[in-house]
Amino acid sequence: MTRPGPALLRADGLSFRYEPGRPLLEGWSAGFDAGEVAAVTGPSGRGKSTLLYLLGLMLRPVSGEVLLDGEPMHARPDRERAARRAATFGFVFQDAALDSSRTVLDNVLETALYRGDDRRTSARRAHALLERFGVALRAEARPGQVSGGQAQRIALCRALLGDPRVLLADEPTGNLDPTSAEVVLEALHEQAQRGAAVVVVTHDPALVARCDRELVL
Amino acid sequence: MSGARALLAVVREAFASTIAQPVGSAIGLVVVAGMCAAVLLTSGRTVAAEQQVVASIDSAGTRAIVVRAEADAGLDTSVLDRLTGVDGVEWAGAFSLAEDARNAAFAGGAPVPLRQAWSEDWRELGLPAGASADGAVAFASATALDRLGIDGAVGELALDDGRGYAVGGRIETPEHLAFLEPLVVAPQPPAERAAPVGALVVIASRPELVAPLTGVVRSVLDVADPTRVELRTSETLAALRGLVEGQLGAFGRALTLGILGVSAVLVGVLQYGMVTLRRKDFGRRRALGASQRLVVALVTIQTAIVAGVGATAGSALAIGALAAAGDPLPGPRYLLGVGTLAVLVATLAAVLPAVSAARREPIAELRVP
Repeated sequence: MTRPGPALLRADGLSFRYEPGRPLLEGWSAGFDAGEVAAVTGPSGRGKSTLLYLLGLMLRPVSGEVLLDGEPMHARPDRERAARRAATFGFVFQDAALDSSRTVLDNVLETALYRGDDRRTSARRAHALLERFGVALRAEARPGQVSGGQAQRIALCRALLGDPRVLLADEPTGNLDPTSAEVVLEALHEQAQRGAAVVVVTHDPALVARCDRELVL
Repeated sequence: MSGARALLAVVREAFASTIAQPVGSAIGLVVVAGMCAAVLLTSGRTVAAEQQVVASIDSAGTRAIVVRAEADAGLDTSVLDRLTGVDGVEWAGAFSLAEDARNAAFAGGAPVPLRQAWSEDWRELGLPAGASADGAVAFASATALDRLGIDGAVGELALDDGRGYAVGGRIETPEHLAFLEPLVVAPQPPAERAAPVGALVVIASRPELVAPLTGVVRSVLDVADPTRVELRTSETLAALRGLVEGQLGAFGRALTLGILGVSAVLVGVLQYGMVTLRRKDFGRRRALGASQRLVVALVTIQTAIVAGVGATAGSALAIGALAAAGDPLPGPRYLLGVGTLAVLVATLAAVLPAVSAARREPIAELRVP
């Protein structure tokens, strides 16, 4: 699906493959505007998560381009792409991807280091986010001591810490009970209302129904 | 964020990671501690022995140039003026020809050789603190006092020509004046007229200067008959010092480098293993925005922290073991050098695995089950 016109984040003719001769994405294009929540859906193995990684500058496409604020990112040096990831994007991975050796608070604060943010200021915001998502009491616990749903909420806290302009979430409600899922969904919409482009990979029809747009792979 | 604050934040993160991974940190610590202890217990012991031998060789006695002159050789106290200002001379003293002195308290006592002495610095003569050099007081070694039959280092000396000296105290015979034992010296004020000299002692400031200074001393003696002058030095010992320092030092250095080299490989392999185990951690960091440079910095700083603690622990352990065994301890500069080198070697060995960690595709690592 294509969406013409200026967009905060845009994929332009993206192609990608993990193995030669087995393309996962071919010439995929789409634009994501500030303020919208877009859902990417499709059967398993179609490259939904890979698309998220390409949009989030974690992978380089075989061909095509990812444009951020109209600027092509493909050829940018790694240092700049990393800085963009830290400053512009917020990521919620499918398995939360928390550091099991560090506390919940440390996990939420992790990206502050990559952005060069002041730790004390970031810690205050991290506490507020943990409070908001109902995991403040687990701030000093290790990720191994929290439930899957709590881990996902902690991952969301980490993604929101830097107030990202692009929020990429891979199955953010996959491990959550309906109440928690609602809290997460509200958070995604709120971030969109703050001017972010939110892209959600999901199989959850309820979540898709609450999104502004659905892109099927 | 300023550069210093950014660096501080990275160091804090590396420190927190070190604490958060106790097993990996402990293994790294043990390897570096073992490296330091191995170096100190092998080459450190050699170096300590070498330092002891060299220190012994470096004593004033080894650096002494001794001139013995017969009565009619023509050597006098003016030689001290000619030696003043010669580079490399630490101390010079002139001694008159020996005169028999006896305990004035009783007649017919055993004679001891008394010598008048001239110098600008009486400390090298081993005189007691505050001793005067007015020409009328003599100082004697324990051997001389015993031979004179003087208890308590207080008494009077009488010469055969009727002159006398008060005994002002006991002196510890310096190594470079041992050839004058039993030693009795009467320090003299600066000579108004040149007085005959029977022995001249010149101490070089460094062992390697003994040979060149010997030539200088010979040239300023200004004696009427050079055949009546004998000049002795410790050039052989100075050469021995060079051998000790060179060969033992080279052995110690080779051993140190060998152990450090082996340990560097160990640390490198260990780091590579740790990085492989932590590839998901680095993948997550990279995916969330850590630059390659930051990942390299985190790994190397973390290694440096572990290596610093390991080097301290290993050094302390080795020092304890050496002290318990009664072996000589290497000097603080050597200890600091080995510790610093161990930290540097471990940190450098971690750079390659760190770069390898940083260059991996973040998502490929993050998706490792």
